[in-house]
Amino acid sequence: MRTLIVSAAFLALASAFLLYGLNYDTRRIESSLHSLERSTEKAKSDIAILKAERAHLARPDRIEPLARAQGLVPAGPRQFAQSGDTDLFEDRDQVRPAAR
Amino acid sequence: MSRVGSMSKDSRQPRLRLRSAAAALGVTLAFLIVGAQLVRLAVRGQQELTTTMSQPVATSFARPDIVDRNGRLLATDLEVPSLYADPGLVLDRDEVAEKLGHLLTELDEAEVRRQLADRSRRFVWLRRGLPPALAQAVHDLGLPGLGFRRELKRVYPAGGLAGHALGTVNVDNKALAGLERHLDDVVGVEAVHGATLSDRAPLRTSLDLGVQHSLDDELRAAMRRYGAKGATGLVLDVETGEILAAQSLPGADPARAAESVDPARPDKLMGGVYELGSIMKMVTVAMALDGGRVKTDSVLDVREPLTAGRFTIRDPHPAGRPLTVSEIFVRSSNVGAGMLALEAGADRQKAFLTRLGLTAGMKTEAGPVAVPLVPDRWDRAETITISYGHGVAVSPLQFAAAAAALVNGGSRVQPTFLKQAKGGKQQPPAPNSQLISTETSRAMRALMRLNVTDPHGTGRRADAPGYRVGGKTGTAELPDRGGYKQTAVISSFLAAFPMDAPRYVVLVMLFEPKPVAETRGQVAAGANAAPTAGRLIARIAPMLGVLPQGAAQPLEDSKETGEPGVAAEAATNGQFDGGGDAKY
Repeated sequence: MRTLIVSAAFLALASAFLLYGLNYDTRRIESSLHSLERSTEKAKSDIAILKAERAHLARPDRIEPLARAQGLVPAGPRQFAQSGDTDLFEDRDQVRPAAR
Repeated sequence: MSRVGSMSKDSRQPRLRLRSAAAALGVTLAFLIVGAQLVRLAVRGQQELTTTMSQPVATSFARPDIVDRNGRLLATDLEVPSLYADPGLVLDRDEVAEKLGHLLTELDEAEVRRQLADRSRRFVWLRRGLPPALAQAVHDLGLPGLGFRRELKRVYPAGGLAGHALGTVNVDNKALAGLERHLDDVVGVEAVHGATLSDRAPLRTSLDLGVQHSLDDELRAAMRRYGAKGATGLVLDVETGEILAAQSLPGADPARAAESVDPARPDKLMGGVYELGSIMKMVTVAMALDGGRVKTDSVLDVREPLTAGRFTIRDPHPAGRPLTVSEIFVRSSNVGAGMLALEAGADRQKAFLTRLGLTAGMKTEAGPVAVPLVPDRWDRAETITISYGHGVAVSPLQFAAAAAALVNGGSRVQPTFLKQAKGGKQQPPAPNSQLISTETSRAMRALMRLNVTDPHGTGRRADAPGYRVGGKTGTAELPDRGGYKQTAVISSFLAAFPMDAPRYVVLVMLFEPKPVAETRGQVAAGANAAPTAGRLIARIAPMLGVLPQGAAQPLEDSKETGEPGVAAEAATNGQFDGGGDAKY
């Protein structure tokens, strides 16, 4: 009888320690999960800002004056060539076909 | 004691055992309960601490992005700080109002004082959506009782482009109009506290940022050049009905919600109906040709003015000889159009307009389009005036859709702001989708091209070398009280290109252009709207992969990315990675 009570008490104590330990582990992991989630959200928000900023910087009404200042203009019909139009390449003054 | 003492030793022993067993059972049960609770806590964890806020927390909405057809960003959510105050904690509200007034220029100091006066309130918004730098400056003031909450704010990185079509949102990120409304109603937005970005896929519109900018730029230039009070235009795919660009000037900046409801900035493309003038002759001529009783070379005697009641309809520049149907179209003869309409009759005319969808309302993803105005009485006078575009008022978008059907081989076009799946039509051809015969459509294409190439053509200044532009001019006098103003006109040009196999319809409308030196004192569409459309087409055709004449048609899969078009677009718009799917 006595041994049963003592062993039960020990078991209870041991499981209490174990469970508290697990509990605190869980909390720690949870908080690190939260901080990870927060940093993910922060990163997402940063990405959104960078994307918006990039789109804003690349908006056509800003780029167009810059491009025109570089001497670039909308493509004219002479700037297109077919593979058959070889004379285009002989005439060096002609604008080369648009290529990428 | 005497009772215990009186008990025999035999009877005491089992009672003691029973008692200790009961105690052991109780303790075991208690341990079991504690253990079970511990296990439960360890396994399930504690319930999240829910903070109940006494202040009213504004619910805002997380909205998906809106991108153009190539994935370039048109609208997105950003996380921004919003400034609030707790009046109970504010020490000196005059100081707060004054210091904030210095920093935030648009802040109403008297209003702030009034808001802070009520100390029973624990939360008042002072300013929603501050730029981070300003928020830092406010923070640096170190005033007690002020705080920030992070919220989502809608931004439009492309600026005011396509403002009317995009629509706008209110301070809680809830849509008010346009495609934003479509997001709310159809795609879905999440109500969020704080700043949680939406996880939904972006809404891919049919707009093309490069084309949209070109349209915007050319319309602005035309307004300056011709002194017009307003302008509108669109670029429409004649097969899929995708709207590649849509603009109405003066434009509405989606970032300024007030502008979209400003009566000085109406959406002329979808929100207004106008008598469109002679571009309606496209419809009249198509009706006559489709009726089969006239051909393009049939001759009509247009020398005599038409009379209807007390009105006399005559041509401003009569040819002085009978004209063929194609000459009527090219010289934009009112008498000729009237005769063609009379020949068909009022009923057929009404039926034809209805078939083209010009008498009933229409909807796009950006909202309902203004309902056309049709006359109650449709007699001889109406038949004649409608034949050349007066008497029926229709929104420019709706007319462009009808015109697209006239040139694309005759099938109905439903304008859409959403990118359609590649490979033509959005749906299998619906019944009654064939509006006119393919022969009539072919004839209309030839007539529209002739109007640009013919030396007498009203649209000859719309030619963009190489891109085979065809179109029709229209100069409509604006209605005034009791009649029409002679000098205030809407001049418009409806173009399609390339005319041998039209892919896009372009509509340009200028509101009240002035007679300027460049147009030699004219306000007619041939002098202002037509060259504007020509310049626009010369600019956008390369982006859209339409090769200039003499070159073969582009390959089917280079249609989207359009190798030369992309290079050209990069040159025009500095689109650095103008591939099919730029990720921004």
